[in-house]
Amino acid sequence: MKFIVEDAATHLQIKVTETRIDAAIATPFKDKLREIVMKNRKPVHLDMAAVDFMDSSGLGAMIAVRKSLPANLAMVLCAMTPNVERVFRLTRMDSVFDIRADATGKDIRE
Amino acid sequence: MTAHEDRQTGAVGFKDVPGQPMFHRVLNAQPMIVRATLMDVRRRFARDVGDDTLGRLELVLAELMNNVAEHAPTGKERPRRVPVIHLCVVRHNGGLACALTDDGTSLPDECVLPRSLPAAIPDDLPEGGFGWFLIQDLTQALCYYRRESRNYLAFNIPFSADGEG
Repeated sequence: MKFIVEDAATHLQIKVTETRIDAAIATPFKDKLREIVMKNRKPVHLDMAAVDFMDSSGLGAMIAVRKSLPANLAMVLCAMTPNVERVFRLTRMDSVFDIRADATGKDIRE
Repeated sequence: MTAHEDRQTGAVGFKDVPGQPMFHRVLNAQPMIVRATLMDVRRRFARDVGDDTLGRLELVLAELMNNVAEHAPTGKERPRRVPVIHLCVVRHNGGLACALTDDGTSLPDECVLPRSLPAAIPDDLPEGGFGWFLIQDLTQALCYYRRESRNYLAFNIPFSADGEG
């Protein structure tokens, strides 16, 4: 389980390198990512571009990590592929996360 | 082989039948094997089925097969018996017809009854309970029955409205 973590002063930029977040890896994925975000106590920008498949156990892991962050710290999901975006949309969890098209989470509306 | 021999073996015209791509596999219900099977399904249909439909098929099959793995029987047998799944997917004019059977535990009724999303309480978000919602949302004509020690599920994954096929 590998995450590429970069401290960008205002937030933590984390690149997910796993291509599938599924039942086979959901638990270690959740534990590792939670450890990273808990240690840093900063808003998190998660670069999801490499992930081309996620199932409901992967979604559960993402929600668990979101819940481990205090509500005032954002968890931004960046550059999601259509396959992954579908899971968030169908379960309405797209309203819980801040979802942006750009890989670094730059808000293109600004 | 000559034309005459072709006729004798019943192989006449076989190559010309416009067959539909099909996937059939018998597998152990274990997460890494489920993952490998899903990637094989994707490869099998990549040429004939659009990305959106393939994505929906992959998600439904992942939810169903991982459920079988997760709810494997917890009897006294040591080592624990791993359920065996039979999966069959066929492309047809209306989408991808799927049949899935397994010898795992029986499905609780509420799985196949109409259901809604788990309540999204802001301070206590649900971390599970999405699987069967997704399965029901993405399938058509989902039917289930259990005979003796096996579960039988059949359903259709429709093509996208944009006719991507």
